[in-house]
Amino acid sequence: MALRLETLTMWLAMALFAGATVLYAYHFFSKRAVLSWYATFLTGAGFLSLTASIGLHSSNAEGSRLYGPYSLVLAAWALVLVYFFVEHLVRLKVYGTVLLPFAVVLLVVAEALGAGRPVVPPPLAELMLTDSLGVAFHVALIVLANAGFAIGAAASAAYLGLESQLKRHRTSVLFRRLPSLGQTDAIARHSILIALPVYSAGLLLGVLRALQTDVAGWWADPRVMLSGIVWVVFAVYLYLSNVRHSSGRTTAWVALGGAALVVVLAVMARTVPAGFHVFAVPGR
Amino acid sequence: MHLTVVGLSHRTAPIEIRERLTFPEPRQAEALSVLLSSPDVAEAVILSTCNRTEVYAVTTGEGRSSAVVDFIASFHQLDHEELMRYLYVLEGEAVVRHLFGVVCSLDSMVLGEAQILHQAKEAYESSFDNGAAGRVLNRLFRQSFEVGKRARTETAIGESAVSISYAAVELAKKVFATLAGRTVLVVGAGKMSELTAKHLVSQGVRAVLVANRTWERAVDLAERFEGQAVPYEELFERMREADIVITSTAAPGFVMGREQVAAATRGRRSPLFLIDIAVPRDIDPAVNDLSNVFLYDIDDLNGVVQSNLAERTREARRAEVIIEEETGSFARWLDSMEVVPTIAEIRARAEQVREEETSRALRRLGALSDKDVATIEALTQAIVKKMLHEPTARLRRSAGEKDGYSTVEAARQLYGLDAEDRDPARRHGPRVTPRPLESPEQGGTEESLGC
Repeated sequence: MALRLETLTMWLAMALFAGATVLYAYHFFSKRAVLSWYATFLTGAGFLSLTASIGLHSSNAEGSRLYGPYSLVLAAWALVLVYFFVEHLVRLKVYGTVLLPFAVVLLVVAEALGAGRPVVPPPLAELMLTDSLGVAFHVALIVLANAGFAIGAAASAAYLGLESQLKRHRTSVLFRRLPSLGQTDAIARHSILIALPVYSAGLLLGVLRALQTDVAGWWADPRVMLSGIVWVVFAVYLYLSNVRHSSGRTTAWVALGGAALVVVLAVMARTVPAGFHVFAVPGR
Repeated sequence: MHLTVVGLSHRTAPIEIRERLTFPEPRQAEALSVLLSSPDVAEAVILSTCNRTEVYAVTTGEGRSSAVVDFIASFHQLDHEELMRYLYVLEGEAVVRHLFGVVCSLDSMVLGEAQILHQAKEAYESSFDNGAAGRVLNRLFRQSFEVGKRARTETAIGESAVSISYAAVELAKKVFATLAGRTVLVVGAGKMSELTAKHLVSQGVRAVLVANRTWERAVDLAERFEGQAVPYEELFERMREADIVITSTAAPGFVMGREQVAAATRGRRSPLFLIDIAVPRDIDPAVNDLSNVFLYDIDDLNGVVQSNLAERTREARRAEVIIEEETGSFARWLDSMEVVPTIAEIRARAEQVREEETSRALRRLGALSDKDVATIEALTQAIVKKMLHEPTARLRRSAGEKDGYSTVEAARQLYGLDAEDRDPARRHGPRVTPRPLESPEQGGTEESLGC
């Protein structure tokens, strides 16, 4: 029964997010305020449903699975959570139009990769991993930071689109609906400004775990190295925007580059052979 | 009773005629009083703006709109024949559709402008205060304001600037998160740059710097904005402080080149927005290639205005759907106010009650002969007929009276024909108070309207 309910709530969340995506898109073009209200309502309902699904999954598997396709579900959850914060802060419904489809895609991919399959007893290595509170925090912080980076990247993409239209003296529906250059730049900067310390804390916990378990050459692990590069890219972003006062265009490209690395990192983590990046397990 | 509108607008009459046919606010009471003194006019609202004069009326008798035409001609002492060349006359449902279109600004000189809704509200208020708006026009105008509001909130008909100076302001707001606290540098003291600077200041721009070859003119313009005059020689140095630059000098060549602007923007993160409204242009177009610099000349701004107008035209089609929907709703209500269908409904309701009660009584009485049943049926029919005779006769007579709609409405209420009329709040509707004008960026167009 718990299994069925977990799957049902997951599918319900997907349906609600998909519905919200359609409503946000329609609101984007039609400007009917009531649609954005319904879209936010569906997003909230979907978020609760997804939370319930994750909770059921957790209780059924005696702890959340932090690796494999299920981490995409957690990423979607984090993205929607961060989206609610952003929407509350900047009151820009247009971000729902951009971010909700992201969450839907993450959930669909997670389902396609088997996140929704019945929970089997997790491998010993994973059980040992989830036993560590530090690792759980490490994963949670990285997921939340990635959500922040995703929002920063979405805002940066919007910035470039808007800037291009302003330069070419064109005004499309996109131009009219998007917030100003200044606002999109501020959202990108604030998202990354919050996400980078969270990411740093997540990485730090990972490093501590690696040191504790005394894994040889952990720093040479391609995923760890790539994580370091991601950190450097976003640190450069903050340096360029806050210290060097580089143009919004330059920093937007840096943010997009960083987000692309995050995606590469996420794909790598799921395509390389099992056991990769599992420091917590003795003997690895 | 007939709904009618007689009027003229910028589409049918030149300014020379329109200005002779206005009903200025101080004369509205007198005009309404004269109009209502006609035995053929039961209700009236006069909408008089610089672009239209329209008299909405509920008329009785056969003459319909002729009473209103006569009134306009005599009030303004114009020749009837000449006047008719410019007037349009609409009746029935066409009046409803027309008014809804007017308040949605589909018939305005500048499509989507916000002022007309406010003007229609004022016209209605004036009529209401003078006791000239009755049951039908109350409902019609109140519904029209809802239609206008729907058109503005559900479509983008009032969005986007449709004048050069507002387009510049709108673009500035697309560049900066907020205009509050920004600094604008005006180069050249032309009228257009002054107007644009005025709009920018009204949107929160903090400081205005003015540079002009003639120092006195720079000082004069700067004083008008409580700004600061800048020596022309310091132009590029002071440009570093500016977020927005407006140029409109009479110089024959470029006043600002790529290198000069590049030097002035070096090391700054905040964008620089340049508005060149001079012809010939003041700023080298190559400046637009600079990073974080956005240059718009008069043609670019015109392009934005045209694009916005095209967008408004597209949105107007969506507003028309709302108008059709609301026109249907009003027409249904108006039809229900007619005497003949009302009498038919009362009779049907009475017959239904009679049949139900008779059947119940016959069931209680048990076995009766056919003759007895027929007698009871005839008795109840006669009672209903006699009871309804006087009310229906009075209703018929009311059709030709000025306040006929009130009688019909009272009858509908008493017989409970309209479910919604049982709710007094819905029946009378909210008291309409004029709203302040909407903000310029939502479609303010005083430059184009001139009123």
